[in-house]
Parts: sequence; structure tokens; C-alpha cells
Amino acid sequence: MVSLSDYLILSSVIFCIGLVGIFVNRTNIITLLMCVELILAAVNTNFIAFSHFLGNEAGQIFVFFILTVAAAEVAIGLAILTLLFRVRGSIDVDVTNSLKG
Amino acid sequence: MEQIYLTIALAPLVGAIFAGFFGSLLGRMATTVITIAGVLISTVLSFYVFNHHVLEGGEVFNQNLYTWMQIGELNVSVGFLIDNLTAIMLVVVSFVSLMVHIYTIGYMHDDAGYTKFFSYISLFTFSMFMLVMSNNFMQLFFGWEAVGLVSYLLIGFWHHKESAVEANLKAFLVNRVGDFGFLLGIALVLMYFGSLDYVEVFASLGNVTGVTMLDGTSVITVICILLFIGAMGKSAQVPLHVWLPGSMEGPTPISALIHAATMVTAGIFMVSRMSPMFELSETALIVVMVVGAITALFMGLLGIVQNDIKKVVAYSTLSQLGYMTVALGVSAYSVAIFHLMTHAFFKALLFLAAGSVIVALHHKQDIREMGGLRKKMPITYWTSLVGTLALIGFPGFAGFYSKDMIIEAVHFSQLPFSDWVYVAVVIGVFITAFYSLRMFFLVFHGESRMDEHTASHVKESSISITLPLVALAIPSALIGYLTIDPMLFNGWLDNAITVAANHTSMASLEANFHGANGMIPHALQTLPFWMMVGGIASAWVLTLYRSQWADWIQKKFHRSNYVLESLYGFDRFNDIVFVGGIKKLGNFLWKVSDSGLIDKILVNGSARFVGFIASMVRPIQTGYVYHYAFFMIVSLLIILTWVLFAGDNPLLEL
Amino acid sequence: MNNMYTFDTSTLWAALPEIFLLSAIVVVLLLDLFLTKPFKQATYYLTQISLFITGVMAFNLIDQPQTIIFSGSFILDNMASVFKVFMIGSTMVAMVYTRHYLIQHALFRGEYFVLVLLSVLGMMVMVSGYSLLTLYLGLEILSLSLYTLIAIARERAGAVEAALKYFVLGAIASGLLLYGMSMIYGISGSINITDIANFAANADLASRETLILNFGLVFLVIGIAFKLGAVPFHMWVPDVYQGAPTSVTLFLSTVPKVAAVAMLVRILVDGLGAMHAYWADLFMVLAVLSIALGSVVALMQTNIKRLLAYSTISHVGFIMLGFVTGVISGYGAAVFYVFVYILMSLAAFGIVILLNKKGFEADQISDFKGLSKHSPWFALMMLVVMLSMAGVPPFIGFYAKFFILQQVISAGFVTLAVVAVVFAVISAYYYLQIIKSMYFEESDKDITIVAPMDMQLVLSINAVLILVVGIFPDFWIKLSLSLF
Repeated sequence: MVSLSDYLILSSVIFCIGLVGIFVNRTNIITLLMCVELILAAVNTNFIAFSHFLGNEAGQIFVFFILTVAAAEVAIGLAILTLLFRVRGSIDVDVTNSLKG
Repeated sequence: MEQIYLTIALAPLVGAIFAGFFGSLLGRMATTVITIAGVLISTVLSFYVFNHHVLEGGEVFNQNLYTWMQIGELNVSVGFLIDNLTAIMLVVVSFVSLMVHIYTIGYMHDDAGYTKFFSYISLFTFSMFMLVMSNNFMQLFFGWEAVGLVSYLLIGFWHHKESAVEANLKAFLVNRVGDFGFLLGIALVLMYFGSLDYVEVFASLGNVTGVTMLDGTSVITVICILLFIGAMGKSAQVPLHVWLPGSMEGPTPISALIHAATMVTAGIFMVSRMSPMFELSETALIVVMVVGAITALFMGLLGIVQNDIKKVVAYSTLSQLGYMTVALGVSAYSVAIFHLMTHAFFKALLFLAAGSVIVALHHKQDIREMGGLRKKMPITYWTSLVGTLALIGFPGFAGFYSKDMIIEAVHFSQLPFSDWVYVAVVIGVFITAFYSLRMFFLVFHGESRMDEHTASHVKESSISITLPLVALAIPSALIGYLTIDPMLFNGWLDNAITVAANHTSMASLEANFHGANGMIPHALQTLPFWMMVGGIASAWVLTLYRSQWADWIQKKFHRSNYVLESLYGFDRFNDIVFVGGIKKLGNFLWKVSDSGLIDKILVNGSARFVGFIASMVRPIQTGYVYHYAFFMIVSLLIILTWVLFAGDNPLLEL
Repeated sequence: MNNMYTFDTSTLWAALPEIFLLSAIVVVLLLDLFLTKPFKQATYYLTQISLFITGVMAFNLIDQPQTIIFSGSFILDNMASVFKVFMIGSTMVAMVYTRHYLIQHALFRGEYFVLVLLSVLGMMVMVSGYSLLTLYLGLEILSLSLYTLIAIARERAGAVEAALKYFVLGAIASGLLLYGMSMIYGISGSINITDIANFAANADLASRETLILNFGLVFLVIGIAFKLGAVPFHMWVPDVYQGAPTSVTLFLSTVPKVAAVAMLVRILVDGLGAMHAYWADLFMVLAVLSIALGSVVALMQTNIKRLLAYSTISHVGFIMLGFVTGVISGYGAAVFYVFVYILMSLAAFGIVILLNKKGFEADQISDFKGLSKHSPWFALMMLVVMLSMAGVPPFIGFYAKFFILQQVISAGFVTLAVVAVVFAVISAYYYLQIIKSMYFEESDKDITIVAPMDMQLVLSINAVLILVVGIFPDFWIKLSLSLF
């Protein structure tokens, strides 16, 4: 039997991979988007695990919404990325530092 | 009466609004008439209020007029507390302000910002009224900030001068330091007394006496010292005095009104108003007294080495403010207010006279390039003479009574260090006489050292300038003689000022007082009088007598450029024979403590320090999004660690 | 577990403003498609009308008894209604300023207004959200609209970069917030604020079992702090403020702060009020850091939008101080500060926008040089705004600071108040720099104001209000206090 804590540990591992990925990655912005998705996946795992073990369906409903929002988010993210490519000619993270200080 | 008080306060505001918003529409003439009418109304009504309260012994008026806000128990209101102290302040402020308004007509005649200037000084007058009429700390603070703000705008009035802009920035920042102490003081009052109303606070002083904070310091002491820091900023006490000499960059009328007669005395007024509180703290009184003595002595010394006519008067103002502060420190509040009043008249007079000279010389301010103006500007000469004699405390003149009383009060004081302070204030008399007469002689007597072109144009100023001079010369000469008895010993200020029984200065003063007439012969036997005579004599020797002597020699040998030579000779003689010590000390103070240390470290230094910190922090903002994310996540980890292991309630034991 | 979701149409009136606004958005979006170029202005007027009607509806709901609908996930109370009215009012003002900017910079597009309306809808949902889900959805509607709004200046590299940064960091922050929400849900078994509040009130907070509650709390605080722009989660603020088109910065820096504070109140005060001691500690640290960093770093800025960004950070610090006190009057002080901050910020950015002309983006402090000569009136208005922000009486900014400090001191945090005042004194310096440029420096450019009269009028009223409310603050203070 897989226990609640196993799920929680799994989700926190995914969460940490997502976090680390964000700042370790210094090349491509698409990777950043993927890392954000990982974080959301960790959250979803949490919600579903809790929902299952509590016998309470609110968590699962929450997950549906998160999925929807995440889809919208990625759509916007990619749109911004396209714009960035158009004005800068590159989607490297390194080029975006004209605003600072 | 309520209507009258309101009118006093609002009449200048109406003038300011008209002049400020419609000045360019109305034209110069109408602006002048409206603003002066506003101040005139206030002046007349102030005299009426003075008569009602002080002379006829009217009831103290204390009422809230409008509730600003109500937060729980705390009520913040606009209200007036009119007692004799307020009435006297009203008369002084409105009269000097009226004189300055009239004077401005002549002084700012050619200035493009004529109407703006009138609007500012009327606004200032309104703010000052609100400050002195306030019945609670919050309104006091508002007035405090408002006068500071107008002063800021006016110092930078001639903003084409780089130095003016620098000076007003400095004034604003130094005053913020003082305000910071003041605000903290008010916050503590609020915290411990639960009210901001003067009367309520004073009534509950008993409950707070003995309460301590921060390792046993009495709360009252802390509050008093914080409030006094506010007073130090506004009344330019060492080390927060640095802004006042710089403020001379502003037009002369405001130097007279704001930086001599009224705003800078707000600190003195405030401490007198808080006398019930200060009386409870010996420590605070000692601090007040010592700071005052340091200011009185050392700022006077700095006055000796100044060559700008306004700067000399400015340092003399600093020194006189020091005297007032000393009087506060030895619990002689009524003497401080007395000196505040006489000083307001004669110092406004001196500034306006200096302004008259400056106008006549087309904005030249170096006293080394003046001389012999006595004949050409008789009215300015005679009124300046009155002002100078009043300032140095020549027997019979206004300043004599007030300053002598301060010195005597220090003499009778039982506070620790009061002996040293006594020495300081007595030496101060010599210094005051020396620099005042030095300036006076250099400007009005001796040979003219002006260039031909300027000299040919010098003439007495117009009526709008000389009229205020004459009008101020009268009280400068007489007001001390007339009011010393009722003000100090016959209870004019009794309903505003509290003196604790164990502070005996005032009582001893009264016991030794033999009437205003009796003071003059008595003074002849005292040390301060002879210090003053010594000061006059040395000034005479060093500026007139010796320079004639030197001129005589130089005429024999170098006829051509004797003016220049005598100037240098004067300095050399000074250095060698007499002033050597004092002048060096003054110069040293000027370089090291005044312009060097305090300016660089306190003002520029702290600004640079903050700038340095900022430039250290800024690079964190690299612009790279992964750095930002990294920063967020590291912060998250730090916070998590802190909450889980090290917070108030550690959830996990290490 | 009681999780019967019911749908009762008779309670829908409580969400009437939101429902109306949503319909209006659809209408505006559709109409905009069919409007030809000469009639594009119609979108603007439609937007203002929709906002106005929504505002009136929200206004009518003030003083209704507290109503919770949608199975406990949507609340109508006085705070919600007042916040909504205030947000809508501020948005309308912001739109007046925005129109001038959009026309000058050829950004006038229908989408802009639809996105603004959408973000207002999101904020209204946030303000009324009474379950973690509604709060999250409101937040995302808001954030997604804002990301897009920033990137609406497609040709500007700065704007796109700002959008990207905001998007990436915002997504991470949402992720953290959600992670916290999942923890809270896991321990309390519900996503409704009421249930969470009950759970927190009865839980033994010191025990190991509730560790996860604390764990979740940290993530929630971080998510909220990010939205507010508090240090150390402030990194996006200066970059986004600077990069975004000024009209978007204006909107971004004002109205969403109300929503963020509302979310803060819903989650931390209504929901986890029992854990105040835990989150107040965090808030104290974040508040002090924000005030300090905001005041100090702003000194070095030359770009006015960036300067105002740092100034916002320090204002946010003051707002958070109000929540540290843990008493109702302290929360009231914080809300009052928010109102004041928005009033000031609207006027400040309004004046920045006012100086914009075709092909000229006014965003440097030096652009204000000599303003007092060319437009004494607006120089005076800017003076009022700056002094108010610096906390000089009798302007409204002083009361806001004073009220907060008074609450902080009476809650016993004297040192905290002292620190706050010290930095407030430092911050006076940079506000003064702007005043100095306006009044004491000569202009090297030609300053002419081309803004339409409606904007000049609204802007003047906005700035004069800063003084007027400063003289009559009682109503606003009472209003703020009555919300809790």
C-alpha cells in the first residue's frame, strides 16, 4: 500500500526539481516553462493525494482548475516568447537583462 | 473671541491663496495690497488679543474647532489654546511679519517672482500662527512642518544660484533629522499619555512620572530630550545648526522673518510651552542648558571670522538662540520668551538694515568692501546703531534687559555645570559686542572701500524699506524697559509656564530685581557690562582706530592703493596682536567643526553613506530572470529554515 | 465530510457586479471586432460605462448583511463591496490617463480595454473569494491579463522583457502559493476559508502534527508577498514598472494592490487569524526589509518609473506593518494606507503620463526639469504628490504613515516604528530630488502638455484630493476601520 507520505515525498521531489531547474537553467526560456509545469504537477499530486486520503473531492476539483489555468498560462508564456524572439532574435535567458539596477 | 482667533490665522492664508493662484492675474499692486491687508488685519487683531488676554487678564481660551480624525480613543483636532504666551507670540509674529511685508515691496521691487514671494511669506505667517496657537501636539507638528516647508521654498527662491539650491536641500534634510526626534517624542507622548492635547497631557503628567523605559531612563526625560531634538533642528542648535548660515542664500526679508525673528524661535516657544514637562526632568534641562551654552559661545566665535554681512548676523542669531536655550535650561522660561521677543525686534531690524545696505550696494555682501556708509545712508545707520546696541546689550536697550536677565538666571541656577555655562555666556557677551561692532564699524564708519562705480550710486533706500527699519527700531530700543517688570515678575506668563519649586533661578532673580531703572546703575558694576565695553573697545581698536593709524602711515608711503593695504594690514594686525587666539580658534572651528566635520560627516557623509549602501544593494538587481528566481527561492529556504528551526516557536528541535 | 455543492440561483444577486462585468466584457470584445477605425474610441467609452455600472452595482451592495454563496466559496461583505467600488473607481481614473498615453504612442487597441476589464473581474473575484480555489482563480485571471497587458507594446524590447520576467516569476510565485494551498488543504481537509479558520482556531499549533500547517503558511505568505512586491520577493517590481508601457505601470501599481491586500486579509486574517503570531513575525521582517530597501535603492535611480517602483516597495512595507499589529485598528490602518497609496500613485503616474507626447516617452527624472515654468499648476500637483508620498503633513500621506506608526507603537513595537521613521526620512530625499528638478532646474527640452482636458481635469481633482482628504481624513479613516 502506498501511503500518503510517499505521495508527499514524491511531490516535494518534483517540486524541488522544478525549483532547481529554474535557476540552474541559463540557456532556454522554454525550459523555464517546463520547470513551472513541474511545480504545478507537484501541486497537483499533493492535491490528489490529500483528496484521496481525506475522502474529500474538493482537492480533485481544484486540480481540474489548476490544469486549465496552467494551459492558459503556457499559451500566454509561449506568446510572450514569440514576441521576445521577434524583438531580440533569440530566446536565450541571457539576452533579457536590459532592465536592471 | 473664537472668530477673532480664526481671523488672525486665516487672513494671511487668504492673502497667500490670492497671491499664489491669482498673483499673475491680479498684478503686483493688487497682490501687495491683499497680502498686506491680510497681515495687517492679523496684526491689529493680535494687539487686540494681547490687550484682552495680557493686559485685561482675559480667560485662557482652549477649544477644539474641528476634529480631524478620531481613531479609537485618540482625537486629533484643530484647536486653539490662547493664553498670554500665545498672545505675546502672536503680537511678535504678526508685527514682524507686517514689517517684512512692507519691506518686501522695496526689496523685491525688481524681482520677477514678486507675487510668488508675497504668497510664500503670507503662507508662512499663517503656518506660524497655526503653530503658536495650537492646543495639541499634532497641530504643532503640522505648523512645524509647514513653516519648514515654506522656509525650504524660500531659501531656494533664487534658484538660479547653485548655492541656494544646495542650501535649501541641506536645510530640509537637517530639519528632517530634528523632526524625526520630534515625531518620536510625540509618538511617545501618545503612547504614555494616550492623548495629544496639551492640557490633557499636562494634567496626567503625574501618572507618568517615575515610569521608566529602556533600562531605567525616565520616560519624561526621553520625551523631553526627543522633543528638544526637534527644537534643536528648528532653532538651529549645535550640531543641527548647519542649515541656518546656508539659509542666508534666500532673499533678506525672509532671513529677517523666518531665520531670525519667528521660525527659528519656534523651538524656544515649544520648550516653553512644554515647561510643565521639562520641569520634571533635571537631565533634560541640563542637556538643554549645555547645548544652548555651546551654541551661544561657539557660534559667536564663528561670527568673528565672517565677512559676509548676512552671515555675521546669521551667526549672531545662532548665538542669541543659544542664549534663549540656556535660559530654558535654567528654568527661566519667561526670560527666554522675553529674549525671544526683544531679539525678534532687534534681529529683524538688523537683517532688514543689512538688506538695505545690500540693496544700496547692488547685492554686494562683503563687509570688507564697504565702509563709510554713515553719511550716505543716515536712516539705515541710526536704526542699525539701535539694533546693534540692543544686540550687544547696551544698558537701556531692549537686549540689555533680556540678556542680563539670562546671565543672572544662569548665575542663580543650581543645576550642575551651571558655573561653566555662566562663564560661557559671559564670554559670549564680549564676543557679541566684538563681532557686532566690528561689522558695524566696517560697514558704516571709516573710509569707503567700495569701488568707484558702486560708491557713486549709493543712496538711502526707499521709504518702504526705511519705514520698517524705523518701526522696528522703536521696540528694539524701548520694549525691554517697558515689559521687563510685568513679563518676568508680574505674572504675564504665569498662566502658560510652570516652574518647579526646586528650580530657584526665577525666584532669586525676582528677589534681586530692583526695577527696570535700577538695573542700569547696577549693571555698571557687573562683569557682563565690562565684557561688553571690552568688546566694543577692541572692535574699535581693530577696525577704526588702528586702521586710521595705519592709513596715516600708508598715506605717507603708498598713496595709491592704501585701501587694499589697510585691509590686509587689518587682518595682520588682528592676527598678531589681539584676536590671534580667538580668530584662530574661530577659524579652526569654522573649518573643522562647522564646515568640515559636521557638514561633511553629518550631512554629506550620511547622504554618501546611504548612497554607498544603495550602490551596494543595486547590483543584486542583475536583470537576469534566473537570478531573480534564485533569489526568491533562496529567500524561501531561509524563511522556511527560520520558521521551522529558529523562530519564536521552533517547531523542530535541532 | 460535508461537501455538498449546491447551486442556488436565488443567491446570485450577491455576485451581480461580477456577472454583469463578465457579460460586459463579452459584449465589448465582440463589438470591438466590428468597430472600424474611426469608431475605435467607442471601446473606451463602453469600457468606462461598463465599469461605472459595475461600480454602481457594487455600491448598492454596501451595507448588505454578510452573505456567503456558492457553497462557501464566495463572500459578500462590506470589505468586498467597498474594495470593489474603490478598485473600479481607480480603474476608471486610470483609464482616463491611459487613453492619452495609448493615443500618443499608437497603442490604442480594443484588446487593451478588454484585458483591463478582465483583470478587474479577476480582482473582484479575489476580493470576494472565500475559498482557496476562488482566490486562486481570481489571482490567475488577474495575472494572466496583466502579463498580456505588459506585452501589448509588441515592438518594445523593454516591454516584452518585462512581460517575460513578470510571467516567469509570477508563475513561480503562483506555484509556491498553490503548494502552500495544497498543504493547508491537506491538513485542514477543506478549501473553504470558514473551515480553515475553524480548524486553525482549534488546532494545537505548537504540536508536531500541525507542522504542515506552518509549512503551508510560509508558502502562502510568500505568494502574497510576491503579489504585493515585498522584499525579498520584489525583484520583478522595478523591472516590470520600468519596462511596461507607462499606462500599464499605472494600472499595475495601483488597483492590483487592493486585490492583493484583500487576498491577504481573506487568507491570513479571516482564514489563519489564529496563527497571527506566526505570520506576523514573517511580516515584520519582510516589512522592514521592504521599507529599507525601497527607501535606499530609490536614491540611485534616474528613471522615474523605476524610482516609483522602489517607492512602492517601501509603501508596501508600511502596509504590511499594519498587519503586524494583529489588531483590528491596525488592519484598518493598513487598508487606509492602501487607499492613500493608490490615490497618490494614480496621481504620480498620471503626471508622468501627462508629459508624454507623440514619440516622446517621459520616464526620466530629468524630464521634469523646469516643469514649474511651463506648467506651474501640474508642477504644484506633482509637488503635492511627492510631499504626500514623503509623508509631510497636512497631505494625506502623512496620516497614512502616522496612523500605521501609531498602531505599531501602541502594539508595543517601538523599535519597529523608529526604524520605519528613519527610512521614511531617508526616502524624503529622493522625493525632494524630483521637486528640485521641477522647481530649481532649467529645462533643456520643450515641455508642452498636449493631454486632453478630461485628463487634465481628472488629474487635478486626483491631486487636489490628496490635500483635501488630508484636511478631512476622518471619513476615510472611519471607513477603513469599519471594514473589519
